[in-house]
Amino acid sequence: MSRVSAPRVGIIGIGQSPFVSRRDDASYPDLVREAVTLALHDAKLEMDGIEAVVYSLSPDAMVGIGNAERLGIDAVGARNKRFLRINTGGATGISSVAAAYYHIAAGACDVVLTAGADKVGECGDSQTVLNKIWDPTYERQLPLGTITMLAMSGIRYAHKYGMTQEDMARVVVKNRWHASKNPNAHLRRETTVEEVMGSRMISWPIKLFDCCPQSSGGGAMVLASERYIKERNLDAVWITGVGHCSETYYLGDRMGTGFTADHADAYALRNAFNRSYAMAGITDPATQIDVAEIYAPFSNTEFHSIEAAGLAPLGGSPAMLKEGQFHIGGRVPVNPSGGTLCTNAIAVTAMVRVAEVALQVWGRAGGHQVAGAKRGVASGNGGDHQFFGTMVVES
Amino acid sequence: MELLKRQETWNITYTHALGETASWFYVQLRDNAKLYGKRDAKSGRVLVPPRAFSDQTLEPTTDWVEVGPGGRIETFTMVYEAFNGLPPPPYAFGYVKLDQADTAIGGFFRGVDLTDPAAAAEKLKIGTRVVTRFAEKRTGDVLDFWFELETA
Amino acid sequence: MTYRVKTGVIGAAILPCVTGIKQSLEEVLYDVTQRALRDAGITIEDIDGIVVGGNDQYDGRAISIMAASGSVGGVDRDILSTPSSGEHAFVMGALRVASGHFRTQLIVAWSPTESSSISEVQRLAADPYYHRRLPLDEMGAHAMQANVLLAGEPGLMALARQVAAKNRANGAASYPEIAASGPGVARYPLEPEMAMAPITGAVALVLASEDFVTEHARPVAWISGMGWATEPSFLGDRDLATVPALEAACAQAYGEAGITDPLDAFDVAELADATPFQELLAYEGLGLAPRADWAARVADGTFSPTGRLPVNLSGGAQSLNPVYCTGLIRIAEIALQVLGRAGRHQRADVRTGLAHAASGDAMQYNTVVVLRRGEQGAMS
Repeated sequence: MSRVSAPRVGIIGIGQSPFVSRRDDASYPDLVREAVTLALHDAKLEMDGIEAVVYSLSPDAMVGIGNAERLGIDAVGARNKRFLRINTGGATGISSVAAAYYHIAAGACDVVLTAGADKVGECGDSQTVLNKIWDPTYERQLPLGTITMLAMSGIRYAHKYGMTQEDMARVVVKNRWHASKNPNAHLRRETTVEEVMGSRMISWPIKLFDCCPQSSGGGAMVLASERYIKERNLDAVWITGVGHCSETYYLGDRMGTGFTADHADAYALRNAFNRSYAMAGITDPATQIDVAEIYAPFSNTEFHSIEAAGLAPLGGSPAMLKEGQFHIGGRVPVNPSGGTLCTNAIAVTAMVRVAEVALQVWGRAGGHQVAGAKRGVASGNGGDHQFFGTMVVES
Repeated sequence: MELLKRQETWNITYTHALGETASWFYVQLRDNAKLYGKRDAKSGRVLVPPRAFSDQTLEPTTDWVEVGPGGRIETFTMVYEAFNGLPPPPYAFGYVKLDQADTAIGGFFRGVDLTDPAAAAEKLKIGTRVVTRFAEKRTGDVLDFWFELETA
Repeated sequence: MTYRVKTGVIGAAILPCVTGIKQSLEEVLYDVTQRALRDAGITIEDIDGIVVGGNDQYDGRAISIMAASGSVGGVDRDILSTPSSGEHAFVMGALRVASGHFRTQLIVAWSPTESSSISEVQRLAADPYYHRRLPLDEMGAHAMQANVLLAGEPGLMALARQVAAKNRANGAASYPEIAASGPGVARYPLEPEMAMAPITGAVALVLASEDFVTEHARPVAWISGMGWATEPSFLGDRDLATVPALEAACAQAYGEAGITDPLDAFDVAELADATPFQELLAYEGLGLAPRADWAARVADGTFSPTGRLPVNLSGGAQSLNPVYCTGLIRIAEIALQVLGRAGRHQRADVRTGLAHAASGDAMQYNTVVVLRRGEQGAMS
């Protein structure tokens, strides 16, 4: 990948729903429109100020409409405009922001909207849909889902580094505490290690409270070129690093002998972060990053993701969490919004990670603001822990 | 105001071509109760389940290698929650590196008492030796086999 | 708008009709990827990133990029997916190279026929709020568009037959072993010769930056102009006799490429032709022939294989219809024409080619790409 010193791309508007289980008052396109309206208002733009739209939508089956982006065209005001949709599973939201970034970095557009929504709570059973992501040749008949797949990752991580279920519970406690300060988060009630440990077992070692919720809501962001921002003297924060990387689809290849990626760790996420860091000129993430919104739908996965971001050595994050290093007020707050563990509207979850980091470095995160945050990172995971997108956002 | 809802179900049937490699694997399983992997020539890794090419090296795989029936648990989980369209809990499944293979294949673990999760987890811990068991009547499907703990 | 980095196509491979069950879908993708890399004269190590286009519901996989990723070299690489259409994968890939952050991109799209019914799969795209109870699939939408056109001009049927015949004859000449010869799909008012049944296909292209092209001394088809736009969500909100989104996309592409007289500028064209009515609409939307001139242009053979601007020498989707990737195939066909590697149906002395891809109901998404050998467009 070439590193070209290019004019920068900024974020000038953000919109996100207050996420809840079900939105019986709104159709799927309504939710998209809701977030778009918020983002345009934030950017002080009308629809016709947008030149292109990147539509953020992961499995169609989750919303129950094939090629559902077509239904969202009007919601994003894309009639007769540039429009395409991105899907990288759970990473879709951050991949969509990256796609919007490339529209501008290429010189094709000055102002791009990315938006989407999800109604996971309406889907009936997200794990049933998510079972269908596995290959019909060898694995579809196994009861694989994202919970079981990541439970298996937790087993390997625990075996390798000694993580306990109490360690996992501490992630939940931290994130719920953060979410209690975030009016847009879905699960906002604080909890305790005891309560997490007492919640029912879903897929060993993951218990109910270790799981993300099924959320409904929308997200949208407006990106603009540096030229556009400077010409209009707009307030903005800057995307200075973008990087994606992916792993083998085969879970079993991340085990056994001779593997490059261990299913315990987040190998391709590390590579994705390294690409973003190289672009942003970050050489020591542990000291150069003020805040992180790291995609982790289950408590155990926050550990290997923190490590992949270079914020802790491999296996070191559980101890550091226990010391409070990743809490708001700690060394590098991780998921001050409550993260994916507290809110997961799949199609936009990874976009919300970028949005939240942007709000942080913008000083606009309100009750869950990390004091003095100037540079943050965001990540998204998709597929069977296969696709990873990362971003660096700075003020 | 009155809010209405509509229920829709997706019901599409797919007939997926398995290709020559997977087909051969399943025929051996169905007819001979044997499992095979295929070697990636570049890295030397024997890939199980087998594929026509390695996604790491993008080279075609070469020779077939018989694998198992013994193996080692690489990871597992035990499910206690019911999900639509998935088996009734509790059940245990995970990935096993069969002898002679380099990668792990997914399958159910049977014959382990799951009532006490912590005790069961200890029995299924990573590194545990297992043996592959085959169904009497096999159809050429990944459910034709499962794993049981190797008795001492 | 000026693109930062000049971007072009250095290779392509088209598998417009994959038959039999010897290969799994992943193996077909592996195959088409290897062919495209070979055509480009590079290896997977030279690929910086990948964009794929696949439809989950056609594939029977809830996230189609997952199993596909490994086949196309996605491991350890940056790979994105644009399920909206295969041609959008091309657009995304071109933007990525043009941004300067990537020197190359591999673009892959595919269209299997493993579902019990493509029509039923497509019907899942109808919204559950108002339209799901109707048998609304893409062919139905195309047929309605034909109906609207015919209502305005009944004589159009004769023209449509001639366009269909032209394309079928082209297909028989260009892909004799595989082009459809039997009857197609009849859907009133479309006659059986006017639309083909879905088949399995795949297509891949390689994009590269100017630096890469220079360093590797590869022949290249430069993207001289690129535009893309969409019609609104509901069919009922559209005037199906017109395609404003095509005009918008065309204006973007022609503006960048400096095209003012399209009939004169292009040596060859591949246009969307899920039905011959779409091709007629494309003549108008792309400034090749307004509808008042359709009859005259069809009669005088302007768009015939020996005419001034041959359209769909490949035979188009009316000959070979791997539904989901027909759009990207139009772009790949033109790239190969400009590169001089279109094989049997290569036109002599192609310098500039026009590709138009349309996907969805009645030309919902429209993408226009101008490819040029050796000249500077706006993408420089």
